[in-house]
Amino acid sequence: MKYFAGIDIGSTSIKIVITDEAEKIIAHSVNATGANFHKNSMAAFNSLLDKENIKRDDIVYIASTGYGRKLLKEADETISEITANAVGARKTVTGGKVKTVINIGGQDLKGISLDEDGNCGNFVMNDKCAAGTGRFLEMVARTLETEVGNLSNLHFSLKGVPAVINSTCTVFAESEIISLLANGHSHEGIVVGVHYSIAKRIARLIKRIGVEDIIFFDGGPAMNKGLVEAVENELMRELFIPEIPQITTAYGAALIAKEAYEEEAVHA
Amino acid sequence: MEKERFEKVRKHVRSEAALEAGDVLNKIKDNFPDNPEGMNYFYDLLSRQFSEGILPKNGKKVIGTMCVQVPDELILAVDAIPIRVCSGSFPYDNAGAEFMPAKTCSMIKAIMGLFSVENYQKKFDMLVIPTTCDQKKKTTEMLTDMGYETYSLSLPSRKDNDNSRHYWQNSVKEFAADLMKKTGKKITTSNIKKAIDLKNNARYEFRRFFNLRKKSPSVIYGKDAFLVANAYFVDEVESWTSALKNLNDELEKRVNKNFSIVNQKTPRFLFTGSPPIFPNMKIPLLVEEAGGLIAVDEVCSSSRLLYDMPAYDEGALYDMIPAIADCYLKPCTCPCFVPNEERKDKLANLIDLFNIDGVIYQSFSGCQLYEMEQKLIGNFLMEKGIPMLYIESDYSKEDTGQLSTRIEAFIESIKIKKKSDLKGKRATK
Repeated sequence: MKYFAGIDIGSTSIKIVITDEAEKIIAHSVNATGANFHKNSMAAFNSLLDKENIKRDDIVYIASTGYGRKLLKEADETISEITANAVGARKTVTGGKVKTVINIGGQDLKGISLDEDGNCGNFVMNDKCAAGTGRFLEMVARTLETEVGNLSNLHFSLKGVPAVINSTCTVFAESEIISLLANGHSHEGIVVGVHYSIAKRIARLIKRIGVEDIIFFDGGPAMNKGLVEAVENELMRELFIPEIPQITTAYGAALIAKEAYEEEAVHA
Repeated sequence: MEKERFEKVRKHVRSEAALEAGDVLNKIKDNFPDNPEGMNYFYDLLSRQFSEGILPKNGKKVIGTMCVQVPDELILAVDAIPIRVCSGSFPYDNAGAEFMPAKTCSMIKAIMGLFSVENYQKKFDMLVIPTTCDQKKKTTEMLTDMGYETYSLSLPSRKDNDNSRHYWQNSVKEFAADLMKKTGKKITTSNIKKAIDLKNNARYEFRRFFNLRKKSPSVIYGKDAFLVANAYFVDEVESWTSALKNLNDELEKRVNKNFSIVNQKTPRFLFTGSPPIFPNMKIPLLVEEAGGLIAVDEVCSSSRLLYDMPAYDEGALYDMIPAIADCYLKPCTCPCFVPNEERKDKLANLIDLFNIDGVIYQSFSGCQLYEMEQKLIGNFLMEKGIPMLYIESDYSKEDTGQLSTRIEAFIESIKIKKKSDLKGKRATK
């Protein structure tokens, strides 16, 4: 049996997807990146193989992607997370063509528009700061003494008016949230305010490449249903959320691995 | 006490600047295969610029210039040495940031940092600054305030009418008169002609270089081409010209032997926008390290520098000086001009001549002119079906990680496009 692996080493977590020759996902995992990119990636990879009883030799091609892609010497190919994300999204949606991909990662926001052939046509990315990214949501949860996973619950239990968050800078927003707390605003109101401030930032960013249906929304924060609602309202469009939003890019990398393997086989 | 502190700061900034320059040069040399032998002259020169300084010690007057519009034939004619002081150094940019407005472009901050940290008041007999963008304009007054002898060379905003042309010609004549007064030397028919010839020799070799770069797959990387042009900023014209002649001869051999540094599949890029000036080779290096090739550029630190020659009919002063003026105004595609339709034509022309797959557009944060013109150029290229990557950045390295992801994704998307184009071509055959 031949298998292909896509390893997406992000700033927050390492995502691994293993596919078979029919391009079906047969195993996947999500682990914390930590401070040692290479060691943790290989540990995650090996434990996934162990858990799923896959022999290392059956993995015939590995493509790495994400922030730490170049550190993984074991990879046969490296590919940028923008291309991998586009490829993964295109394959995940079966009932129509994806035209726009929105991705929120640990430290960046991306918008990708796909051309007629489903290739990455144009893309935008935030530059220097982590505003509105996964890190930003982590900071909010920490300031409100809760878990990131609980933000969605807080969002939907708001009774009353949401707070308005003006800062998108992670550092300034933190002090803004603290002063909102000091003024007696509810946690729920602050969370809704935060979600809308991120949604507005996303809308501004991706309007630069044009927004077209089907819009695919992925990355860890896409698991937060409150944030999804805010983004849908800001864009006034429905979003397609994949079953496991974190692994689309790793899946794309695995698909690229398969393609590269087959191409090499032709030339060999 | 104050003097001692100042001396300390200068030493510190200088050593940081030398470190940065050494670091970038090492990358340029070591991360790429097949560097031409002829490049060593330029590598050494730029390394010396930051380790020992390159101010001439032959007693000649030194005139600092900014922007490409200063006619250095006039400076050469009065037997002075023109040195372009536009800086690409991050430590000097940092030094300038201490007193410049936060949203100033890196290049201006680096220039101001350089002239505030270094006591160059006695080393430069004059600094000539054309009235191109607002930031350059105000720089003139700030430098005067710091004790420098400055000259504001008045440039019109339009160049498509006779008024502007005559305005600029008069401006250049006034500058010539001032130069004669400051240096005590007269501009004569024979010394101006000699200066034009000297610079035309440089232009001749530069055009040869330009034409050799058309070869696809390429015989030289863009990072080296930028360095060749950057070296002209600080080198003496004759030595620079003969060094480029050597390099050209070597490249010609490569062309004849069909030797290339990259292959047919390598995407070819046109680089435009804010000028890469050594050691700020951040974006060109990211592009070429990621497997792209900068085949040609449209920037004022490189291809705009030496391409156009003055055309005069009569070898008389009244004809030669306006002819010199013309060649600095008419072909110039700096975004300080309105309208600047010619920049589009030039880009379209370069795309055809150099077989270009995509355009990289760099804007320094704070350079409003390039930032705003980006939209116009972007729309124009989109209509032509040429993909463009727009990058807003500065001299700091903090955005390198994110930029390399964007650049790699851009290159990957072009490779995919190239592949399917090739397949299409094969299918129609």
